[in-house]
Amino acid sequence: MLNVIIAGFGFIGRKLVRTFHKKIDLIKNVDSKFKIIGVSDSKGYLYNLNGLDLKRLSSVKRLSEYSEEYREGRSTEEMIEKGEANLMIEVTPTNVDDGEPGLSFMKAALKKGIHVVTSNKGPLVVAFRELTSLAKRNDCFLLYEGTVAGAIPIFSLIKRCLQGDTIRRIMGILNGTTNYILSRMYFEGTSFELALKEARERGLTERDPSYDVDGIDAACKAVILANALMNRNVKFKDVKRTGIRRVTQEAISLAKKSKFAIKLVSVIDKRIEVSPKLVPINHPLCVHSTLNAIHIETDLAREITLIGRGAGEETVSAVLNDVLTVIRETASRSRKI
Amino acid sequence: MKFDLTIALADRPGQLLKALKPIAKYGGNIISIIHERENPSDGFVPVSLVVDFPSKWNLQKTISDLRNMGITIIRAEEIVDTSRIIAILVGKANLKDIIQRGIKNAKIIGFEVSDPVSEDACLKLEIEVPTRLLDETLENLRRMAESEGSLIILPI
Ligand SMILES: NC(=O)c1ccc[n+]([C@@H]2O[C@H](COP(=O)([O-])OP(=O)(O)OC[C@H]3O[C@@H](n4cnc5c(N)ncnc54)[C@H](OP(=O)(O)O)[C@@H]3O)[C@@H](O)[C@H]2O)c1
Repeated sequence: MLNVIIAGFGFIGRKLVRTFHKKIDLIKNVDSKFKIIGVSDSKGYLYNLNGLDLKRLSSVKRLSEYSEEYREGRSTEEMIEKGEANLMIEVTPTNVDDGEPGLSFMKAALKKGIHVVTSNKGPLVVAFRELTSLAKRNDCFLLYEGTVAGAIPIFSLIKRCLQGDTIRRIMGILNGTTNYILSRMYFEGTSFELALKEARERGLTERDPSYDVDGIDAACKAVILANALMNRNVKFKDVKRTGIRRVTQEAISLAKKSKFAIKLVSVIDKRIEVSPKLVPINHPLCVHSTLNAIHIETDLAREITLIGRGAGEETVSAVLNDVLTVIRETASRSRKI
Repeated sequence: MKFDLTIALADRPGQLLKALKPIAKYGGNIISIIHERENPSDGFVPVSLVVDFPSKWNLQKTISDLRNMGITIIRAEEIVDTSRIIAILVGKANLKDIIQRGIKNAKIIGFEVSDPVSEDACLKLEIEVPTRLLDETLENLRRMAESEGSLIILPI
């Protein structure tokens, strides 16, 4: 029986609420008492222990439009501290410098025994080990499928379906924006500057394009993959990182003549590196436009490649799956007790 | 270590079997034998063997035994497993210099340059490297590019 709170009501938060509304029958099939009891943004929160009205919540753009119940000036911490929730979905903005505000929210929730599902990379990049051990100590789930490669179920796949395999190497195209830019340069022969401008116009870049173009986003994802799937204990500074600013049209044409595309690839094996690489055009990793791809090499299964949408509203698929995992697992635990 | 060992055998029965003895004695593992019976000259047939010996010393000992048996050695050389890779360099690195100076352990088998005088000069190199030295060679290339302030793009 899940009482859910959501921290953050932006693009993903809103989309998620709409998805809960749309899929409520499916969710109630697994947990008939499922309800959202609280949602916060940067200025306050909505809270009702009997459950918020998903239909109304789906129709508003801002929490303050929902009803008088909106408590302006109150913090997300306060909502967590009530301790009445058993799952928090954390979807506040990513901050890879100190992980805040998400890191404090997650710690507060886990300390209270509240499971956490998130698509926010920041806290996991900054404090992966701290958070996972806190979750373990408090017997909580901490699931983060939406943080890497959007809708691609990489963590679930490896943790559930490759339990006996050892992961030897992971290579991935983990940033859709740079893949879009490099694909435009490859197919249309545009310059880097023009392709970047196009990506901006299509709303594909972060406010600060450096986050994508200099490989910061891809490096954060590499850190999470390394820690979560390859039992490493690495930080952002451990990633050897080169962005795509210096990849010229000429370089791409020369590569193309030899049947390679240039892609921003994250590689995790002995090293952990993000840099432009030559990818053979018939390699499964060679996907174009905003697509993401992850290629894993294991001792038993050998090679597996996953391709899918790396960001945007599709990310909600990953978050919802994590929520359903928590529902099912907690239900089966309570049956055992 | 793999070697190409080509010898000339008299075109008589039992010669090959005799010649294989010293190879076995010195720990050679025969990977393939090509017996070119259709090309005898002066009653001798060339036989090409690919043999894996633990070291060069084992090959030399084998050769001297074969010679003592009166067998002519046509060729005995190491077969080096090589990899061909492409690398692209972007930056005003002195391209001519790289090509003239060469790259340690690597044979440059092709290159293409575009925009050679600009800041964004671009050089595509195709090199052949003994496979066992591949990692080391790529690391050298990477360091060389870094010290020249160029971007290097290598295959995955
Ligand atoms: N958008 C995507 O395609 C995508 C894909 C994968 C992962 N993600 C990740 O998912 C997370 C959410 O993304 P998004 O696109 O939904 O971001 P967003 O549109 O910027 O929304 C962020 C939300 O968090 C709220 N917030 C900010 N500071 C807060 C605080 N101190 N306390 C409580 N709430 C706070 C904001 O409140 P206000 O409304 O008051 O500003 C806003 O509602 C991010 O970490 C992002 O990196 C996003």
